[in-house]
Amino acid sequence: MKTRNFFFLLATLAIVACQPEIDEFQAAPGTANFTKYVSIGNSLTAGYSDGALYHSAQMNSYPSIMAAQFAKAGGGNFVQPVVASEYGVLPGKRVLGFATDCKGVTSLAPVAATGTPDGLTPVGYAVNNFGVPGAKSYHLLAGHYGDPAGLVTTPMTANPYFVRFASTIETSVIEDVMAAQPTFFSLWIGNNDVLGYALAGGENNAAGETVTDPTFFSTVYTGIVNTLMTTKAKGVLANIPDITSIPFFTTVPYNGLVLTAEQAAQLNGAYQLVEAYLASIGVPYTYNFNFQAGPNAFVIEDRNFPIAALPDYLKVRQMKPGELLLLTVPQDELKCNGMGSFDAVNSKPYGIPQNYVLDEDEVAAITTATAAYNATIKSVALANNLAHVDMAQKLKDAKSGLVYDGVSFNTTFVTGGIFSLDGVHMNQQGAAIVANYFIEAINAAYSATVPMAEVTAYPGIVFP
Amino acid sequence: MRKTLLVLTCIGMMATTAMAGGYQVRLQGARQTGMGLIGTPMAFGSSSIFYNPGAMGFHDSRFDFTIGGSTILSRISYQAIGSDYSAKTDNPVSTPFFFYAQAKITEKLVAGVGVYTPYGSKSVWPDDWKGRYLIQNIGLQAIYIQPTISYKLTDWLGIGAGLVLVNGKVDLEKGVPYNEGSKATLSGTANSMGFNVGVFIKPCEKLAIGIDYRSHIDTEVEGGDATFSVPASLNTLIPASNKFNASLPLPANLDFGVSYKVNEKWTVAFELDYVFWGKYDTLKFTFEESGDKLNSVNPRLYSNRLIPRIGAEYTLNEKLQFRFGAYYDQTPTNQDYFNPETVSLNTLALSAGVTYKPLPNLRIDVSYLQLHGMESERSYLPANFSGKYRSFTAIPGLGITYSF
Repeated sequence: MKTRNFFFLLATLAIVACQPEIDEFQAAPGTANFTKYVSIGNSLTAGYSDGALYHSAQMNSYPSIMAAQFAKAGGGNFVQPVVASEYGVLPGKRVLGFATDCKGVTSLAPVAATGTPDGLTPVGYAVNNFGVPGAKSYHLLAGHYGDPAGLVTTPMTANPYFVRFASTIETSVIEDVMAAQPTFFSLWIGNNDVLGYALAGGENNAAGETVTDPTFFSTVYTGIVNTLMTTKAKGVLANIPDITSIPFFTTVPYNGLVLTAEQAAQLNGAYQLVEAYLASIGVPYTYNFNFQAGPNAFVIEDRNFPIAALPDYLKVRQMKPGELLLLTVPQDELKCNGMGSFDAVNSKPYGIPQNYVLDEDEVAAITTATAAYNATIKSVALANNLAHVDMAQKLKDAKSGLVYDGVSFNTTFVTGGIFSLDGVHMNQQGAAIVANYFIEAINAAYSATVPMAEVTAYPGIVFP
Repeated sequence: MRKTLLVLTCIGMMATTAMAGGYQVRLQGARQTGMGLIGTPMAFGSSSIFYNPGAMGFHDSRFDFTIGGSTILSRISYQAIGSDYSAKTDNPVSTPFFFYAQAKITEKLVAGVGVYTPYGSKSVWPDDWKGRYLIQNIGLQAIYIQPTISYKLTDWLGIGAGLVLVNGKVDLEKGVPYNEGSKATLSGTANSMGFNVGVFIKPCEKLAIGIDYRSHIDTEVEGGDATFSVPASLNTLIPASNKFNASLPLPANLDFGVSYKVNEKWTVAFELDYVFWGKYDTLKFTFEESGDKLNSVNPRLYSNRLIPRIGAEYTLNEKLQFRFGAYYDQTPTNQDYFNPETVSLNTLALSAGVTYKPLPNLRIDVSYLQLHGMESERSYLPANFSGKYRSFTAIPGLGITYSF
């Protein structure tokens, strides 16, 4: 066996000495300088996910993922206003669990998480991540935006999340950003300028959510970037995805009223009785509903109903293609109590209330404003030689599906793997995908070679 | 560590590994291995059962027994594209083996049997590596048993044929993209049959020509065990225990070789091996339960390949021989359907060997083969998985032949 041992030793030596080496990836900042990176934005930038700003999602916010990649190309430390709790700063976190519906059917669904929120105690240190959940473009310029006194006024003039890390009571987000003296910044703001309105179903609710006027947006946005440019920092701007790329608005289809032939006939009959009643009280009206077996457009409240004098419950119409229902539309009401079709118990029409619906006018207002914001963002990027991420196009592409390392992603709620359980914000894998969109644009604009993040190395939605 | 490896070498002669040419391993004789795996135009004794059954009758002895094996030490490197991610396999040492026995029944008729492992692959990637949803660990092996007869028609022409009985085995583990740690483990065996025929021509004392054909064999796993570790909430969709069917082709080989005895000391040889990898088009898995969610058809799109080999043998004296060889093995894999389950790269191989004959009828053949899998950028498009791969393999081998 001596000879054999000798050969074996030789081979062992060879395998130790002759590792198959491949040249390593060469990370470089190009013409950018990542020494002091700051991120500016809203909940998406903060790492908000599953309806809350909680620890692990914040640790894997897209700016945090980017900073980790920047660190390989000369980037410095990246500090976030750390949330200690896995439950979040404020209540509202959702997790995947089991829910039983009004028909007694139990299924996998997002349910309320339990835990103790962190609360609003200021963290007491300077940060790099200026993502403030809820912030609209113009909020970045607002003084006293982190003033606790502004949380109890009506309307609120401060933001609870900025209260946690504002340097002073008087300061604005942009002032704190400037004090940080960034060498590189990312700015993704303007989503809430339409989303606030969209999430409220386009209604003028108590919070007074409206679509920010595009001209005003342009002034504000240009002002923010001009201010940032005085630091000589380089940066990247991202635009605003269309709401039709976001599962919160696409999960419940407008024609989700699926009927059997028998049910369709019953519904047609019910509305004939309503029409007969209207004729009998001297206000003849034809709804023109024709329910059929299969999918039908839901019945919604109609603010533009031709006979204004009628009580609200009679002022209904069917949804049109392109109109959107919110994810928050009460499913049990739809399934068991006739919302969206007819309230059989009380024998009356039961349209889906307007605050769960984006009708054609509301969708148009949002779409027009988004396009105008995106034109502004594009031109500001060009004017200042900043990198530009066409997030609207990226998410549109993601709708038809992406594949990373054998894992498929799309924008479908829960199963799509990009969005979290709130249907609006990314989960951590989604954050990595977004971080890579930013890195891609930065590498192109600044001749940099920042390595891409490994999407599948981050956690996705956790199944029970 | 070394001790462990040696123990494995000695008692664990069960597994095989592929480094080049898909998952084929041609380490079926230490003498042939030393000469760049040339065996078809050689009459080295009972190892001809594998390399060319037509040559069995051209060996002088009445009985010939050969036993041996190799120890494959291999490393594969992976470097992602556009990111700084890299990984190296930690492949276990694997040990393809062979055993042959042949006996002359008459001067012209020889019968023999061979047991050998010409196909196999064993790769262990780091836990939770980037490609885990393609493959985490894989072990493939096929043991061939080949009863063979050979007939020497004339002084210069021999033919031989063997029936090949195959026992194949596959074990693989891969991630499934639910929670962290969710995975699938598949394990199955298959039995099938094929044949090996060869012709050996010796037009003159100095020249030998060999042609050998080993048939295509499909190994069909039926009712293999599939275990899915997925979150409990998904068990209604994906049962924890399942059965699967799959089929892996072991491709046909057509080998042609020529050897020339230059003088008393030197013999040189070359060989061309054509491997019918083109049959490996897809890898299909069908499952007994939840087939609609689990069944998959995975493109592989391999191509037929021609492997050129050269080798030489130098006889120093009655006790010592030396040999050298080289070959170039072009990968049969497809550039766009390259799955890290079989990292087969264009490979340059160099070999060397020594024979020591302590007794006239006992020979000890030692071989060393070194494979350089050349760096190459490859993708598996269905998974959007790309990277640069490179491999290095060192294979010491040993064979002992006793003839009388």
